[in-house]
This record gives sequence, C-alpha cells and structure tokens, in this order.
Amino acid sequence: MAGATTGTETDVLRQSSVIVTSLAVAAALGLSACGGGDAEGSGSKTVRVTLANHVWTDNLKKALPEFEKQTGLKVEITQLGEDQLSDQYNVKLNAGSSDIDVMMYRPLQEGKLFAKNKYLADLTDKVKSNKDWNWGDFKSGPVQATTYENKVVGVPIITEQEVLYYRKDLLKKAGYTNPPKTLDELKSMAAKIKSQNPGVAGFVARTGKSPAVTQFSSFLYSFGGDFVDSNGKSAVNTPEAKQAYAFYGGLIKDLGPANVSTDMGWPEAMAIFTQGKAAFYTEANSLYKNATDPAKSKVSGTVGFAPFPAGPAGSKPYSIPSWALGVNDASNNKANAWKFIEWATSKQQTLENEKAGVPGGRTSVAEDPAATATYPKDLVEANAEMAKNGVGHDRPLVVKVAEAREIVGQPIVDAITGKDAGASADAANEKFQKFLDDENK
Amino acid sequence: MRARTPYKVFRVVALVVVVLALLAPLAWMVAASLKTNVDIYNPDKAVFFSPTWDNYAKVLQQANYVQFIVNSLWVAFAATALSLLLGVPAAYSMSRFSMGRSALVVLMARVIPAVSLLVPWYYVFSNLKMVGGFTVLILSHMFVSLPLIVYIMMGYFDGLPIELEESAMVDGLTPIGAFRRITLPLSTPGIATAGILSFIFSWNNFMFALVLSSAHTKTLPVAIFDFVGYASIDWGGLMAASTVVTLPIMLIALFAQKYVVSGLTAGATKG
Repeated sequence: MAGATTGTETDVLRQSSVIVTSLAVAAALGLSACGGGDAEGSGSKTVRVTLANHVWTDNLKKALPEFEKQTGLKVEITQLGEDQLSDQYNVKLNAGSSDIDVMMYRPLQEGKLFAKNKYLADLTDKVKSNKDWNWGDFKSGPVQATTYENKVVGVPIITEQEVLYYRKDLLKKAGYTNPPKTLDELKSMAAKIKSQNPGVAGFVARTGKSPAVTQFSSFLYSFGGDFVDSNGKSAVNTPEAKQAYAFYGGLIKDLGPANVSTDMGWPEAMAIFTQGKAAFYTEANSLYKNATDPAKSKVSGTVGFAPFPAGPAGSKPYSIPSWALGVNDASNNKANAWKFIEWATSKQQTLENEKAGVPGGRTSVAEDPAATATYPKDLVEANAEMAKNGVGHDRPLVVKVAEAREIVGQPIVDAITGKDAGASADAANEKFQKFLDDENK
Repeated sequence: MRARTPYKVFRVVALVVVVLALLAPLAWMVAASLKTNVDIYNPDKAVFFSPTWDNYAKVLQQANYVQFIVNSLWVAFAATALSLLLGVPAAYSMSRFSMGRSALVVLMARVIPAVSLLVPWYYVFSNLKMVGGFTVLILSHMFVSLPLIVYIMMGYFDGLPIELEESAMVDGLTPIGAFRRITLPLSTPGIATAGILSFIFSWNNFMFALVLSSAHTKTLPVAIFDFVGYASIDWGGLMAASTVVTLPIMLIALFAQKYVVSGLTAGATKG
C-alpha cells in the first residue's frame, strides 16, 4: 500500500519526539510525584480531552493506546454530541475551569466567541516550533478560521465543502450523460426529472431557518453575494442575495418534495435523498457516507457527486474547517495538551482519517492518492475542483452565530413558502444590520 | 347509573384517541429500535418489517450501556433515599409547627430555573474537585428531589388528623415516638408517591448530569447522545437506547402506581 511509506516516515519522526516526550514525562513525574493521583497539578500525566461524536473521534480512539504507550501520558476522553458539547463548554469555560485541556470546537460556529472570551490558548509559538509537524502544510482557508487577531488558537482537523449529490440512474433515464455544470442547468434538469418520475422530487436541500443557512451560502456566493460586504455592512438584500434567496427557495418550492416541511436539517433532507425520493441534493461532502453506505441508503449504488454548479459569479462553494482542536487557556497542562494535538493532527493521523472518509486540514494528505483511495472517484474530483475556488466561511462570521443564522435564514424559509423573498430579504437586512451594529459596539 | 349512552360513547372515543396519541410515539420508538437504519426512513416499512436485534446488541455490548444503567440507578436511588431521609422529617415539622416561611424557602428552590445554578455550581464543585464523581451528581439531583418530597409530604401530613398523635401521646408516646410509630407508618403511601416521583425526576435529569458527570459516571439521558454524531445519526441505536432508558421507569411507574392508588384509597385515617 502506498500509505505504508508515509507511515514509516512518520514513525521516524515520532522516534525523535518520543525522546523529547519521555523527557517531559520524566520531568512531569518528578513534579507531581507527591500529587499522587491528582490530575489537576501542572504537567499532570493525564490529558483531558473533550471531543465531539464523529468518525474522526472513533479513529482517534483506535490509535490512542499507541500514543499513550509512546508518551507515557494518559488521555481521558469525554465524548459528546455537538450541541451538548457546546453547552458544556459554555458552562465549564465560563467558570474558568481547568478540567478541560484539549477541546474540539467548531471554528465558525463558536470560534470567535471562544477566542474573544479568551477561552482558547495562543498556540502561535507552538505551531511554529516543530518543523517536522509542519504548520505550513495546513490548508490556508481553514487556518484563517482558526486564527484570531493574528494569533493561532486552533488546529483544523476536519474540513468540508458543499457538493452536489445526484442520482446517476435518474439522470440517465432523462437522457443526461453529465451532471449539471450551472445552476440553470440544475433547475431545468431537476424539472425534467420531476415531471418524468411521479413521487420523486427534482431537488431537495435543507429547509430549516438555521440549518439551511450554511448550505444556502454556496448559492449566495455563486450568485455573487455574501452575508456581510467588504465594509462590514449587512449585505443580505443586495440584488445578488435576493436572487439567491429566490432561486434556492424556488428550487425547493417548485421542484422539491410535495408538502415540504420548513424544518429540515441534514438528517431529514438526507433521508429524502437516500430513500430515493429526490434527484439532486446539495449538501456538505463530509456527509457522503450517509448516501453511499447500503446500511443507511437505498440508493447507495447510484449516487453521483459533482462540484457545486456555477451561478452568475461562477461556482463558489464554501470550503471550511468544521472542527478544530484548541487548548483551554485555563488548563494547567498546556504542554502535554499540545503534545496530544501535535499527535492527533500529525500526517499519519490525518491520513488515517482521510482514508476513513474524513477530510482533514493538511494539503499533503489531501493530495496523497492513498488517502482518497476508498472515496467515490467523482467525489475526489469534485473535492479537488472545489478546493481551488472555495469560500472560507459558510455562515456570517460573528460572535453570536446562532442568532445571526436565525436572521439571515428567514428569507430562505419565506422563499420556500412562496412569500416575497425580496421583501423578506429587505426586512432581514435591516435586522441583520442592527445585529452587526450591536455586536460591534 | 345516571350516565347516558351518548356520554359513554364519547368517553370511550375520547379515551381511545388520547391513549393512541400518547402511545404512538412510544410504539414508533420501539418499532424503530427493531429496524435497520435504512428501514427507519422508509414509510412503506412503517408497520411491516423484518425485525432485528442488532441495535440492542450494540447498545448493551458495544456502547457499555449496562454501566450507564447502573450509574443512573445508583444516582437516582441515592438521591431519592437521602432526600426522603431529610425531606420527610422536614415536611413533618413544617406541617405540624406551621413553619410557613421555611416552606416558602424550600419552594424557592423549585422556582429558580436550574440552568442559572449550573455555572456557580460547576465553579464551586470543580474547586472542591468533586466534578465527575457520584457525590456531586447525587447532591445536584437532591436539589430537585428534596423540595418535591417536602411539598408532597407537607400536604400529606396536613391531611393526617393531629388527634391520632395526640391520643398516641396520651397513651405514653413521646412526640418523636408518635411520629415514628404512628404518623410514619400511616404515611407510607405518601412517601411512596414522593419517592417514585423523585426517582423518575432524577432518572430523567439531563442537564445536571451533562455538566457534572464524567465519562464513567455518565447517566443514561446523557449517554443517549452518543448515538448522535456530527455527520451521522444512528437512529436504530438511538431508539434502542431510548427504549432501554424508558422501559425500567415505565415498569416502576406501572408497578408503583398500583401501590400508590391502593394506598390512597385505603385512606390514612381508619377512624
């Protein structure tokens, strides 16, 4: 296997870091010798890591004994769903807790809030200290999202982009040989397939006010808009944005499933697609296994992937870090916390994850054919295509993201239910501008 | 008797509607726990499907649920027992010696939203290095149980005629003896009601356990979320786990309901 070379390479690298680590551990032992089982002391041997439920976490847990053996550290993992994780951070970090050393967080959803509240330790020196680990290897978009006021506060571990999921069999039946290249083609193809196949929608996507915002963002960018303009003003009622709202809402209203609910997040929208009830679906590529796994999907054999179709401004899907690792600024164990991150984001771990279908933050791994050997071929091509023209955010970059999503998501829902998307965008713009003013006070 | 036929028919229909509405989600949950993930989404297989036990196997073997069940049982049991120990005598004295203000203070604990206490609690307990242990979980659950028990028992003691104790004291019992040998045995149904309610509250409590528990003291409501991932939701596993969580408490409630009802109808005053 081609992966073996990379494996041995990292092994050599690790050998040297093992020595460094064992020295550190010896020092730590000396320091905390009288502490006994106390996990709070500085340089404690136990690193407390809080992680989200994710394939990435499962992979990490498999490799963990190796890390513990090499470093002599003990890793204590708390694993939670993403919302529970947020709740817990909000309580614990607010209380200035040192119970968490390493935290897995969502740079775009809560990164700005955490950094602003100084929950995240400054890692700038640490990321630059180890040449072999190579900070320069990380993709620039995601790195931007984990940098706050020129300080590095996190290391991206999982990245994602929006792709077009489609049904090869339905396209073929309608006489199409290729997936749509533009949004206009998407619309006409979806319309034709819908008319040919009763009970099958031409298009499906998220419809819930807040969940839809991220998947709508690629439409917005591809129409030439954004949530906030270059002067920091709300831009959700520009002509481009109005078009994007009307287009996204129109697709679902006219070509979507009958009696569509305006409450769908990815689990619901994905279910419609994987039950074979829709021809096209725009969604994050990180979810692709839900569609290709026969245990979850009825259409696993006929799913195709294509780059996000181009709008008037070209194809501009989001390309973002969905998760990153940071160090709790109140932790008493920062050196070992960093050691854990260094290992968890090493080339080898990134490769293992990439092989399991979790795209990571490293360019060298993304370009390694061994990493993507198990992916559907068209997905690899789509991903590579989109990495070039991706936009680094999929939601407004603000502190109170949840609130902002509710505001800019309203016109999506209004467009789906057939209300005037333009008027709704105007109302949302006024609200959003007020929100931005409040936040920048 | 006096009820007319239309009324009877209406009653039956209304009962059926209510019961169906209440049972449908439960039935769906149990059915889904026996399906594969791809079948759960399939409306054609809503009722007829080939059942699988894989989800339960996963829950009980892979996901370490036995441990979480034990955790939940221990926390709920300890919190209820301790709350009863403190709450029943407290309720008795509040009821008998008209300590209205103390009762109000206890009621306050029910009025304050629990969320607002989480951060200070967490701060205090983490400085005491108690976070993640069973003690702190039990204490936090007692915060809910204790006022509940005090209030139920106060009402109960208010209903017990004071003459019973007076005559016991005439017969030579001390006040404490009268409480222990007369009032307490008579209040068993009330204590059962309070205890069961407190047990259920504790069993279902999610918020306190989310913040105050650790990987090995996690209780069931928190553990359920292990089946919800960022990019994948294991509905089958989730529903099997939910069934595992719901079943014991339903059995307890069913079994205990009988006890409570019979206790209440028997009446506390036999004279």
